[in-house]
Amino acid sequence: MSLAAFELLLDGEIRRISVEARDGALVLREGGRVLETGVRRISANELRLRVGDRSVRIFLARDGDRTCIAVDGRHYVVSEPRTEAGRPGEADEKAGAGGLRVKAPMPGKVTKLAVAEGEEVRRNQTLVIVEAMKMENEIKTSIDGVVAKIHVAAGDLVDAEKILVEVEPTAG
Amino acid sequence: MDGIFRKILIANRGEIAVRVIKACREMGIGAVAVFSDADADAPHVRLADEAVSLGPPPAAESYLDMGKIVAAARATGAEAIHPGYGFLAENAAFARRCETEGLVFIGPGSSALELVGDKVRARQTMDKAGVPTVPGMKSCSASAEEFRAAARALGYPVMVKASAGGGGKGMRIVAGDDGLEAAIEAGRREAKSAFGDDSVYLEKCIEEPRHVEFQVLADNHGRTVHLFERECSIQRRHQKILEESPSPALDAGLRREMGETAVRAMRAAGYNNAGTVEFLLDKSGRFYFLEVNARLQVEHPVTELVTGIDLVRQQILMASGAPLELRQEDVAQRGHAIECRIYAEDPKAGFLPSAGRIVFLREPKGPGIRFDSGIAEGFNVPVFYDPILAKLIVWAEDREAARRRMAAALEDCVILGIHTTAGFLGDVIDHPEFRAGRATTAFIGQHFASWGAGEGEEDRRRLALAAAAFEALSPGGSAAGAAGPGRRRVAATPWTTLGRWRAGGEP
Repeated sequence: MSLAAFELLLDGEIRRISVEARDGALVLREGGRVLETGVRRISANELRLRVGDRSVRIFLARDGDRTCIAVDGRHYVVSEPRTEAGRPGEADEKAGAGGLRVKAPMPGKVTKLAVAEGEEVRRNQTLVIVEAMKMENEIKTSIDGVVAKIHVAAGDLVDAEKILVEVEPTAG
Repeated sequence: MDGIFRKILIANRGEIAVRVIKACREMGIGAVAVFSDADADAPHVRLADEAVSLGPPPAAESYLDMGKIVAAARATGAEAIHPGYGFLAENAAFARRCETEGLVFIGPGSSALELVGDKVRARQTMDKAGVPTVPGMKSCSASAEEFRAAARALGYPVMVKASAGGGGKGMRIVAGDDGLEAAIEAGRREAKSAFGDDSVYLEKCIEEPRHVEFQVLADNHGRTVHLFERECSIQRRHQKILEESPSPALDAGLRREMGETAVRAMRAAGYNNAGTVEFLLDKSGRFYFLEVNARLQVEHPVTELVTGIDLVRQQILMASGAPLELRQEDVAQRGHAIECRIYAEDPKAGFLPSAGRIVFLREPKGPGIRFDSGIAEGFNVPVFYDPILAKLIVWAEDREAARRRMAAALEDCVILGIHTTAGFLGDVIDHPEFRAGRATTAFIGQHFASWGAGEGEEDRRRLALAAAAFEALSPGGSAAGAAGPGRRRVAATPWTTLGRWRAGGEP
C-alpha cells in the first residue's frame, strides 16, 4: 500500500489530490470527495478502471514531462504545475506594468501584421494573422490600448508561446 | 496487364500518398514517394519503393514545386504522376507540363482541368449544357465597386469563393456591405496561399443547403458513368468533416435525376478520368451545380465501400488508356458507408491546429472498419500542411448499423500526444439530428458552435487524474523509469471524507 499527495495540472487547471493504491484498487481523494476504482493494467499504455458497475478504458503515454491521457475518446494532458504555465491558446498574458503580451497560440507562419507600433487598438481587434496547417488564425487583443511593440514580421515562422505583440492599456 | 505503367510517382504526402502507394503495389507498379524535410520519416516515405527528397518544408518549396516533382519523376524513371488531392492535383499548368514532358498525369487532361478549375468558366459551361447553377457573378473582378454592386444585386448573404478553389479555402460568407471588403481580402490571401491564384468571385448564398456530390468516372474513349452520391453536409468552416453514402436526403427519382445531370455536366466539360460533381440541394429538393472536383477526393472511400469499385485502381487504368469496363447498369449501391476525418485540431480550444509528436497510436480494427492513415507512432505532425491525419471509414448493412459501428470505432481510435477531432466526431454522430438523417450544412454551426465539456466531463477529468496518479505510483507503466508527475510527493495527509464519487452518474 502506498499513500501519496499530488499537485497536478490537468489541461491547465491545478488539482490537488491524494491517492492510496493497494491490490489493484485505487482510492483518490480531492477536497473531501472520494473516488474508489478498481484498476487493471492491460498494457504499458492501457488501463481498465472499474467505477461502480462501469468499466472505463483509459489510454496513456508519456511525452517529455507531460502525460497524455484518453478517457472515453477525450484527450487530457496532465503535468506538474511548474512545467506548464498555462494552456497554449490562451493568447494573453499580463505583462509587468499591466500591459498585454499577445502570444502565438500554436506554431505557424505570420502571414499578416494588421497593426503598426503606436497604433490605437480596440478590444477584439485583429493584431496579427498566423497561418498554420493552411488555415488563417486571427490573433486579437483582449484589451483597448496602444501597440507598444511588435516582435515579428510577416513571413516569420513562430513557435507556440512566442510573443507576437505587446499592447499597453489605454490610460483611465 | 499490358500497357499499364511500370512506375508511378506520387506527388503528395500523408494518408492519400499511402493510399495510392498501396494501389500501385497491388497492381505490380513501382511507387516513388516524394517528401519534404518535415516528412523524412513519414509513413508514405517508408512504404514507397523509392523516395526522393524535395527540400525545405514549406509547400511552395516542396510539394508545390513543379520543377522538383518533374525532375524526381525523370530521375527515377516514373512514367506517370498521381497528384492525390490538394497541392498540384487541380493545377492545369502542372498537368500541361506533364503532357509536354511526356509524363502521364493521372487525372483529367489539362484543357478539361483548366475549364472546370476555373469556377467561373465552369459555371458558364454548365449554364449552356442546361445544368442548373447557383446564381452568381459571371466573372471575377478586381474592383471593390463591382463586388459591392454584384453583392447587392444578388442580395446578401453572399459567398466569396476562390475561382481556383476547393476544400473551403478562400471561402467566406458575407452578411452585408460592412464585411465585404475584408472578406474579399481574406479570401484572396487564403486563395493565393492555397492555390497560387488570388481570383475570387461572389455567389448567392443558398441557406441551409445540403451538400450532395456524385462520383463520376470517364475514360479516354467517351464512356462516362457515375458511381452514385456522397452526402457531405457535415462541414465546419466549409470543410467537410464527415461524409456518407447513400444520402438520406435522396429518393430513387431524385438520385437518378442528379446522377444523369452529373454525367451530362462532365460530358459538357470534356472531362476524363475520375472526378466529382458537387451539388447544393435546397430544402425544396431543387439542386444546383456547385463545382467539379477534378481529382480523387478525400471522401472517395465511402463510394468504394458501397459500390465495391476501387477508384484509385480505376484512375490508373483509365490514365493508361484502358477503356472503362463498367456500364451504368452494373453499378449499384449496397449497404451504407460513413467516413470521419480525423484532423489534428483541438476541438476544446476552438479547433486550433495541433501539431506535434504522436506518442501513442492505436488504430481501430474490426469487421467493416477501414482506417486510411498517414501517421505512425513517433511521427511529428508538421505545421506546414493540411491538418488531416487519417480517415476512419465504416461499412454496414444500413445507416443505423453503420452509425453504431462508427461510434465504437471512434472510441477504439486512440491518438495521444496531439489533439484530434475524434471525440468531437463521436458527439456529432450521436446527435439526434444526425441520427435522423436531417443534418444540413448549417448543422455544425447550429449545434456545435462551441464544443467542450459535455456530459460527464468532470467524471472523465477525475478518471484522468486517477490514471495519472496510478501511473506515477506503479512500476511497469509507460512512465516507468521516467520522472512522472508523481515526483511532487508531499506528506501523506488523509483528507476528510465527505462523499463518494460516482462516475457515469450525477456527482
